[in-house]
Amino acid sequence: MTAAIRKEQIYGFWGSVAELVRIALRAILASKMRSFLTVLGIIIGVLSVVAVVSIMQGVFAAFFAEFNSLGADTMFVRPNYEMSRSRVDAVKRLKMTYADALAIKDGAPLVKEVAPFVMRGDTIAYRSQRDTTQIIGTTEPYAPINNLDLESGRFIGPMDVATRRKVCVVGQDILDKLAMPPQCLGEEIQIGRGTYTIVGLLEKKGGSFGQSQDDQIFIPLTAATQQYGQDIANTVFILIQILDPKQTDNAVEQISTVLRRTHGIRFGQQDDFRIFTVEAIKRVIDQFTGISTMVVTAIVCITLVVGGIGIMNIMLVSVTERTREIGIRMAVGAKRVHILYQFLIESVTLSTLGGIVGLFLGVGLSHFVVFVLRKTVSETFPPAYVPFWIVLLSLGFAALTGAVFGVYPAVKASRLDPIDALRYE
Amino acid sequence: MTDDVLIEARGLVKDYPMGDEVYHALRGADLTVRRGEFIAIMGPSGSGKSTLLHLLGCLDTPTSGTYTLAGTPVHSLPPDELAEVRNREIGFIFQMFFLLPRASAVENVELPLIYAKVPPGERRRKAMEALQFLGLETHAAHRPNQLSGGQRQQIAICRALVNKPSLILADEPTGNLDSKTSENIMGQLVRLNRMGNTLILVTHEPDIAAYAPRQVRIRDGRIVSDEVVRKAEGGEP
Repeated sequence: MTAAIRKEQIYGFWGSVAELVRIALRAILASKMRSFLTVLGIIIGVLSVVAVVSIMQGVFAAFFAEFNSLGADTMFVRPNYEMSRSRVDAVKRLKMTYADALAIKDGAPLVKEVAPFVMRGDTIAYRSQRDTTQIIGTTEPYAPINNLDLESGRFIGPMDVATRRKVCVVGQDILDKLAMPPQCLGEEIQIGRGTYTIVGLLEKKGGSFGQSQDDQIFIPLTAATQQYGQDIANTVFILIQILDPKQTDNAVEQISTVLRRTHGIRFGQQDDFRIFTVEAIKRVIDQFTGISTMVVTAIVCITLVVGGIGIMNIMLVSVTERTREIGIRMAVGAKRVHILYQFLIESVTLSTLGGIVGLFLGVGLSHFVVFVLRKTVSETFPPAYVPFWIVLLSLGFAALTGAVFGVYPAVKASRLDPIDALRYE
Repeated sequence: MTDDVLIEARGLVKDYPMGDEVYHALRGADLTVRRGEFIAIMGPSGSGKSTLLHLLGCLDTPTSGTYTLAGTPVHSLPPDELAEVRNREIGFIFQMFFLLPRASAVENVELPLIYAKVPPGERRRKAMEALQFLGLETHAAHRPNQLSGGQRQQIAICRALVNKPSLILADEPTGNLDSKTSENIMGQLVRLNRMGNTLILVTHEPDIAAYAPRQVRIRDGRIVSDEVVRKAEGGEP
């Protein structure tokens, strides 16, 4: 008995909702083309947002992965390219050298390690195999600071740098590019005009933002500056690891003092270098993520309002067309609230269906865009990533749109007088 | 046939504002109907018979007067409670059938049960019973546009019956049917009445009204005659 009553009550609510969804689906499917055109606004809105967010999230994820390999105790120094041209002393120019790195190591007590490095794309060759990759000239500490691990052999050592030895450490992708066996230690490869002996092979790190970390070759900094000339030697970037992450501000102060002295910058003059702490970089990324989330949300709102107006329009038409039906339902005992829910659920069902279609198309579009970008821009463009929150957000917003813009037509339907509704031709 | 009173209407007045003036659709109608009766309400168009039907059917409330249906005063109920009364107590049969075009015959018959919160299985069973009663079970899955006018009206009769109402109201039920089909439909209604259902029929056709043992004539918003033309259960006219 109790069970029967409970069943009745449960049916009372969810049963009615299921019933109304069924009625709504029938009404929606009765005019497929019109329903499709009605929710086109919602479909396009959800589609574009899902596609943009998925591609962006993919890029962010890769970007974070890159920076997450750097600890909170690292920072990065490079020439101040943002300095306006007129302010840069014509004679001095912007300059950052290996010597600066050594000066920092000596002059800033809070600094634990420095890893100066230069980067350059170049051709590589092994036997008849030729390709291009990124060459990084650096010193010993670069590997621990970047959490690079070796699969076999060793990294660039102090003696290699001191004697400009022509040795190199290769990433996993290089083996594929040059069709080399995994036992590559001791093999000689051609980098630009120089011949280098492989002394180390890095562990696979996986894809990353833009340039894969596996698609790199490391050589001694001194060998690089010798091979690539003065311009490269004067644009050294310096990766720095400090003793204590809590002392970041003081460390920046010390580094700045050292560089101002070695660069001969007078009091009141602008720095010709910039120091980026990992913390600051992450802050910028966070800021960018926040801004882009806001922009996306704004776009969602605008498109869904536009889509919602379309839904409201069609629901009003639908209420008018089905005035007779409303009259019949009222005559056999439908209360106002039944009619209200019927039309409200119809518009929510309609907009949610639009949201679902938009979601699938959006996911498809993001994968397609990544596919095209990989073919045209960069083979290592990070894969699209569909975060769960965008699924909830887009479906939630779509349903909400249906609810908000369905209220007025539904209220209008529920307020009809049964006699007028029955008489309506 | 039981003797208790189903409908007790006293001094029903219905005014409609028409701009600055007031249109008096009903100027004080008294009507008492016992359970099991079969009444025809007759009158020319504009006489107020439709208004009376709407009031008796709880589709509208009177400007003044009292109306008690099955012991409940319903003349001043709010719309949602009127809807409940319609659902529970009244079955409608309309001239235009008024079936839902997208729903199958059995779904149309189920409609009152949905609003009576009858669970789906039981609903379907009751609707099929009603269809079987009129021999329409083979048409259960058909849509209204696949059925003839007579069949549609019979579906509508099933819908009127399905929730076992106290009162069946038929508004020109044969107005859209040929004479042979009309006879058939009227035969069904007479059969329902013989089984104890209270029936009120609104029509302007004397032939159709003649099926009812009691005839009420209305003109200019007033009941001008109310007579029992023959004993109830008097067989065919």
